[in-house]
Amino acid sequence: MRTNTDPFQALADPGRRAILMMLSQNRQSINTIAGNFDISRPAVSKHIKVLYEAGLVQIKDSGRERYCELNPDGFNEVKKWLDYFDQFWRTKLQNLEDLLNQQHKTK
Amino acid sequence: MKRDLVIKWHFPHPPEKVWECLTSPQLVSQWLMKNDFKPIVGHKFQFHSKPLPKMGWDGIVYCEVLEVIPNQKLVYTWKGGPRPGVIGLDTLLTWALTAEDGGTRMVLEHSGFKGFKNIISSIFMESGWKKGITRRLNELLNEMQ
Repeated sequence: MRTNTDPFQALADPGRRAILMMLSQNRQSINTIAGNFDISRPAVSKHIKVLYEAGLVQIKDSGRERYCELNPDGFNEVKKWLDYFDQFWRTKLQNLEDLLNQQHKTK
Repeated sequence: MKRDLVIKWHFPHPPEKVWECLTSPQLVSQWLMKNDFKPIVGHKFQFHSKPLPKMGWDGIVYCEVLEVIPNQKLVYTWKGGPRPGVIGLDTLLTWALTAEDGGTRMVLEHSGFKGFKNIISSIFMESGWKKGITRRLNELLNEMQ
């Protein structure tokens, strides 16, 4: 799985969210996805590439078609941020408490 | 607004002391990160820390002060991304202080992740999910409550 692109950024675009909504119904070929949107096929491909790089979709070849489907693990990236900040703030608040205790002692 | 990350803490020190540590740039740099904070609404400042390339973060947090109520409440934006000009993480920090048992009760809210949660929820609500995926997403959503 590639995760070069920030999933926050990948989800910021309404077109990409629409593609994800479509994929939530079922896996789709890239041609079918492109046929469902009023934007050019290269533009659709670009969106899919961003979603792929963010780890939100998987691409599989089946016969002559390339299929896209959602990658649930990609959504764990979001949770990683929440977990990261949870730990981050707890560490920092402990630092703050230590600092306050230290100030108190020296007075 | 949905509270995405809420951390409660008690300090055995009065709110004025805790407030000083939240608003003096020198003190903030001692326990949090290097910064050029000023307790003035509209002031734009940055935090600098070690980059986290795996998380798509270059180590700079872009902030703007939104609210200052001395000794009680401080709100600023908390934005970051993989490189200057690209913002992936667009969140908000709210620090609330109240006097409690001779010390201070702090409630820190880190919000703005809700965009994600809403999208995941709406995708999840759509039918057609494979059973395993539905279960895993459901678990994920429960953990994010």
